[in-house]
This record gives sequence, structure tokens and C-alpha cells, in this order.
Amino acid sequence: MKTKAFPPKYNSFTEVLRSFSQIDPDRPLLIYEEGGAPVKKSRADFAASVLARAEEMRSFGMTCLGVLCDGSLDCVETIFASAVAGLQTVLLDENAADTLLQEQIRQTDIDILWSSDPDLVEELTPYLTDGITPRTESRDSSVEGSDILFFTSGTTASSKAVVLTDRSLLAAAYNGSCMLPLSSDDTLLCMLPLNHVFGFVCGLLWGMECGAAVALGRGARYYTMDFEFYKPTVLSAVPLLLSFLVQHKLMNSELRLVLVGAGDCSPQLLSSAVQQGVQVSFGYGLTETSSGVAISVPGSPSFDPFALAVCPEDTVALASDGEILISSPSCMMKGYYKHPEDTAAVLKGNLLFTGDIGKWDENGRLHVIGRKKEILVLADGTKIFLPEYEARIMAALPGRDFTVLERDGKPVLLLVDKESSTWPEEMRELSRSMVQEELRGAMSQLPRGQQLSEILFTDKPLPRTATGKVKRWEITSP
Amino acid sequence: MERSKIVETCREVIYECVPDMEGQPLYEDTVINTDTAIDSMGFTMIICRLEARFDVKIPQRQWSKMSTFGDVVNAFDKRINRRF
Repeated sequence: MKTKAFPPKYNSFTEVLRSFSQIDPDRPLLIYEEGGAPVKKSRADFAASVLARAEEMRSFGMTCLGVLCDGSLDCVETIFASAVAGLQTVLLDENAADTLLQEQIRQTDIDILWSSDPDLVEELTPYLTDGITPRTESRDSSVEGSDILFFTSGTTASSKAVVLTDRSLLAAAYNGSCMLPLSSDDTLLCMLPLNHVFGFVCGLLWGMECGAAVALGRGARYYTMDFEFYKPTVLSAVPLLLSFLVQHKLMNSELRLVLVGAGDCSPQLLSSAVQQGVQVSFGYGLTETSSGVAISVPGSPSFDPFALAVCPEDTVALASDGEILISSPSCMMKGYYKHPEDTAAVLKGNLLFTGDIGKWDENGRLHVIGRKKEILVLADGTKIFLPEYEARIMAALPGRDFTVLERDGKPVLLLVDKESSTWPEEMRELSRSMVQEELRGAMSQLPRGQQLSEILFTDKPLPRTATGKVKRWEITSP
Repeated sequence: MERSKIVETCREVIYECVPDMEGQPLYEDTVINTDTAIDSMGFTMIICRLEARFDVKIPQRQWSKMSTFGDVVNAFDKRINRRF
């Protein structure tokens, strides 16, 4: 029988496990692959496994566990057990570069590692630290929550660890459950990495909170097969993943809803997904807010996937320059780990200054229209909103890889051409003239002060974040 | 297996996965990210198909280290013709 699950509100993973043992203990919680077939693990079995593992962890005498996330059942149980055992838990990308992992271990005081790959643990063991200093004051983790750290790549500075808790993550999942409730008949496919807060909350906790089953995706190798294997009804996806699924028509016929987040998404992509028979919802949030704070809710005929309703536990306001400010007592981060100045720069009182620009529509829905940090302030005091500016250039130079930078208060175009370092000066000049000619129409529509002042070439690929945004702050030359 | 055969299969699979690239030359030094229309998801698909075609596995941690078409060919060459 189909039952609409009323979203429960949990304060800790311990409470979640208690509920799993007592309410519908036999209901499937997780679905994973074993011996080539999908296998179900019940709520009670999951709770028992986690509690046993937590007991074992308490006996280690360690303080901070780094989990190299692979999305497996073992990985999920380890994360829950670590939090239940009261350890500081740091979620890491198992596919990250060695040097980055070494730095992240050092930054967050990890003194023990978990990975399904023993070679990787062995490789990283020399970089383990003495752990975190034991707290002298008494601390009740059932009130404050256990710390779970996620790294944010950020778009303006190097990666920082954001301190969240099981409590804040569950509050964010509760938000999702209220906005987009799932039923006990639903199967949520978890394909996103668990070391990303969107993947952890919207790929895992959202389903758990609603009483749906969560199918654990089998990793990148199985992207093309997981839909037929698990027959999910709900999916959380980043825009790039959705684009891939739509392009290759991989979504199964049972799939009814896709929640898209963690990146900019084109209306064309969303409508292509809708044409393939799924409802699409768009979510906005940050690692700092434990994932989503505003979501579009499908249903009405005039549904606009980019018109976002603010979640029940959050309050959103716009500053005079349009910056989105968030107050979210239950979902807000504690801060950036060991970076109090960085925390103070964005978290003022109970308000998070997001660096994103938004506007309200006539129905009181939030629209995210860009990133404040993607604004170039020119020498004459005018500003360039980069997504719009670059879209104009993209239309004139289709298929070219480029970015726009500010140099000496003027906008400069940096074009990637891997041969450019070998060009003689005449060739460079000719190429520049050709590009200028191609851009003439686009530039002519802009005020003179906002027109490109220079066209530069580089033979190096542009440094990009995981979501494809150019890391402008890393480009120091030309 | 001859390296030339591996190169040929790699090209074939890329053109299969990204039909828009059909006819565009793929040299050993072609940079996947910036010289081709292959995005990270497309790259994943290509590697998976090549793994199936050659019946070898490239550890996922190495995927991001393959920058050029030549790197992809080398990675498979090394595993198919394992040299100790």
C-alpha cells in the first residue's frame, strides 16, 4: 500500500537509527549491488550494523576520521558510525589528487582513515596527524551534533573545510522532505559523491528522512547502467550529469522526479529533461547551509523551475546590491574549520552573505541570477556581470575556450589556444585581429568602457572547479 | 596488441560516443578538455566503453591524469601489453 510519509524531524544520526529500529524495521532502507544483483538492507539491519561499528570506533581512541568516499554501503555505514561514535568526520574525494588529499588530511587533523582501497590508505597514512585536541569542556553531542566536515571548492579562494553536523544535515534533509516529499514506494538513486553536501543530503538523507529506499549508485563506470539496474523513481543530479542522461536518453521509464542543484543550469536542459517524461525541480543552497535553502516545486501549469520557494527552516533576504542573505539557525555551518576570519567574513550575526545575486518575482519566489564574485568592477566604476558578458562573447566565438579577466581596471579576454606559445608575433597579431573582427558586433552593443581592451592568448587549459567554473583567482598571467 | 590498433580503437570509440567529432582529427597531443567537445561525463563514457572493448580496467584515480588523447592510448597500452 502506498503511504505518504510525513517527514519526521531528527536531531542526530543516533535518533535516526533508533527510529529505524522501532518504526517499520523491516522496510528496505538501502539497495546496493552484490554478486551482480540488487540487494536490500532493512532499516533495522542498517541501524544494527552502524551501532556495532560505532562501538568498535569508540575503542580506537581516535578523534578524527577521514572517509575517502566511494558511495558504497560500507562507506555510508562508516560515516554514520563515526558521527554516532562522536568522532569528527571529514568526507574526502577518493579520486582527488594525492597532494590535495595530503593537504586536506593535514588541514583537518585526521588521525585515522577509511577507504575501500587499502593501498590508498597505506599511501596516505604517513600524512595522518595527532588528531584534534580533546575538548576540555563537557559537550553533549546529542544537542550540538557531531561535526562532519565537507570541503568546498569555493569560487574565490582555495578549498576550505566547512563544519556541519549530523543535526544540521538532517535539518536540511527535513527541509527537502517538506518541500518535495517522497513516498515509501519511491527509490532515490544516489549517484553523486557523498563528499559533496548536495550528494550527501539530497542523494541520501532526503530519501532516508522520507522513508523511501535509497539505491547506492555503483560509480562512474555504471552511469549508463544504474537506471535499468535499480529502476529509481527519484534522482538528485548536478546539471552536467543531467545533461549526460538526457543526451544519451538513459533515464528509466519509472523515474518521475529529478532534483537538480549545485550548479547553473540552462532552461533548455530542464525542458529537454521534462520532454523525456520527468518532473524537474531546481534547488539552491550552499555547503555552508548544509545544502538547499530554496527549491522549485513542480505542480502548477505555469511552473517555472527557476522560481524557488524558500524552505521552512530558512529565511532569505536580499541586500541592497541584490546579494542573497540567508538565516538558517538549524542548517547553518558552525564555520570554516580553523579559519575564524574567513567565517567572520561571510557569517555576520546569524546572516550568511552568500556572494550570490538574486531577485524576487511577483509571486515572492527567489530567482538566483548570478554570483556577486563574478562581477568585474571597472576603473570607471561600472560593473560587468560576467555570465552575461561571457555569453555575449560565446555567441560570437562559438566553441572557443576563454575567460574574461580584469587587468588594470579594464576587461581583458583570455583565449585558450594550445599552439599560441609557438606563434611568431605576426601570427599572434593576425589571430588577434581575426578575433576582434568576430567580436565586433557583440562589443559594439556595449558602452565603450565595457568593451574588451585586450585579447590575450594562452596555451594552458583554464583552471576550473569541479562544476566547470573558471578559477579566475588562479590565473596570474598573462 | 599493436599500439596502432589501440589508437584506432580509441578513435573509433570516441567518434561513437561523441558523433559531433566525427571527421575531426585526434592526434596524440590533442588535449581532451580544450581541443575536443568531450566533457567530463563524455570522457567517463569513453573510458568505460574502452575498458569493455579491451577488457581491462583503468583505476578511476588515474582518469583525471589523462589529459591528451596520447595519455588515453598509453594508459590502455600499458594495461593491455602489461610490461613488468
